[in-house]
Amino acid sequence: MLAVTELTFSYRPGGEELFGALTREFLPGAVTALTGASGRGKSTLLYLLGLLLRPRTGQVLIDGVVASSLSDEECSGLRATRIGFVFQDAALDPSRTILDAVVEPALYAGATITAVRPRALQLLDEFGLAHRATHRPGQISGGQAQRVALCRALITNPSIILADEPTGNLDMDSAEMVLSALVAASTQGRTVIIATHNAYVVERAADVVQL
Amino acid sequence: MKPLMLLREAWVSTFTRVVPAVMVAVLCASMCATTLLTVGRTASAEADVMARMEQAGSLELVIGDNRNAGLLSPTVVNNVAALDVVERAVGLGSAVDVRSGTLAAGGNRVPAWGVVGDITAVATLIGGRFPLPGEALVSQAALEKLGHDYPTGYVTQGSVDYPIVGVFVAREPFSDLAAGVVFVAEVGTPAHTLHVITHTAAAAVLTQRLVLAIVSAPKLEDLTVQSATALAALQGEIAGDFGLFGRQLLLLVLGAGALLTGVVVLADVLLRRADLGRRRALGATRRILIALVMLRALIAALFGVVLGSAASLIVLTVWDVSVPTVFVIATVVLTLLAALAAALGPAVKAATLDPVTVLRTP
Repeated sequence: MLAVTELTFSYRPGGEELFGALTREFLPGAVTALTGASGRGKSTLLYLLGLLLRPRTGQVLIDGVVASSLSDEECSGLRATRIGFVFQDAALDPSRTILDAVVEPALYAGATITAVRPRALQLLDEFGLAHRATHRPGQISGGQAQRVALCRALITNPSIILADEPTGNLDMDSAEMVLSALVAASTQGRTVIIATHNAYVVERAADVVQL
Repeated sequence: MKPLMLLREAWVSTFTRVVPAVMVAVLCASMCATTLLTVGRTASAEADVMARMEQAGSLELVIGDNRNAGLLSPTVVNNVAALDVVERAVGLGSAVDVRSGTLAAGGNRVPAWGVVGDITAVATLIGGRFPLPGEALVSQAALEKLGHDYPTGYVTQGSVDYPIVGVFVAREPFSDLAAGVVFVAEVGTPAHTLHVITHTAAAAVLTQRLVLAIVSAPKLEDLTVQSATALAALQGEIAGDFGLFGRQLLLLVLGAGALLTGVVVLADVLLRRADLGRRRALGATRRILIALVMLRALIAALFGVVLGSAASLIVLTVWDVSVPTVFVIATVVLTLLAALAAALGPAVKAATLDPVTVLRTP
């Protein structure tokens, strides 16, 4: 279970304080949408939940453990094994193959490429991208790139998926495909949290956090 | 992350962006080549100079018995020859003129020296046999001057005759003897001068002290001493100068190379900020990022040192300069260490980049 208690954050001491002591649980098996006007901290909350930022006050809890107080090394370990990230621009290395991109988090989690390759190919197959495994990101469409990012987020079978505007740069069809994949990931018991402006995404979410 | 996977990741990412890798490789090749072609050549020149200074001619200590007081007896000569620091020691009498005793006309006069001690210390036999006391060896030049066709007969000095039993060539540093005759002095005859060849110039001071102790002249004025102690001091100074110059040059080359390598690696890190931020977000620890940046530099540097040392060795071969293998290995290792040291700062910078800032900056 992912939760925050009394959470506040500011980018600099004395700066604008965000979240107003937010306390909340994020349900497993459901999609939660983080929405609100620009500058209200949607992406920032996502990065706090992903342990890339430290709260000014309050805590981030993962399965009852105060994850926001863990060491940097332990936070990295949690990101590699328990948390999957999907970024707005997919964030794929243009010089590496799609297969290399998908296996990357598993390598940080301690897997070997030989051990993780079958699962990576299986995920690419599920998302209709198996034939693109040896291609470079520049050779696939934006929608396909975002599906590759989803495969990468799922490679370590994490319990939490954090998506930052995953449909922001996509056309309607591609956005629907990505959103469906995220919903499908949640139905397998994962906590899926999406930071979004998109009203359609908010409609599809089981839970909404208005910032 | 498993070490093998880290190595694979570093290897692959080195070659996916070749420009910084090539620049690091070129810099390391230049460091290696410059070191070998300058410092290596200096080291080689130093070795040549030292070798020349170590030649026998430069290692000779000559003690003269000014008053022919019998200070340089055969026992003294033998005791000096037995010293560990001494390569050879031999006594010579004053030069005398001899002429052929075989030819009626007597032929030309040639110089002759009586040898006290081991005659092989001054002469290498090229014909006949080594002489017994009272017998002589003659050089080829002296043989011709005496008017002998063969090394037979005898030479005479006043009423003393010396049968010729062989031909010799003079050993270094006794080239003066090449013009004449050497004969084994009668048993018990003291030498006029004692010639001592040390193993190294560095041993000159000690040898002189030991030899003077063995000679034990009642008054020091009774002896003349020509020694290689000044040469030993000069040798030390030259070695020091060469060493200092070499070290300074090495530091300059490696320092400048490391600085430029550091700049290239830092530029690479800054250009790859998005890549590094993504890796952190996906679970890479700071240590992984540091290792990744340093391994990438090391891989590029490895290619550089192989290229640089191979090219330098070819040039040195063309120049006919021999650099010791250990120096080549040391240069390669130092260049790699310099590259690693240069990459450390940028690697730490990479590890401390804020992934959120990087990910949110277009």
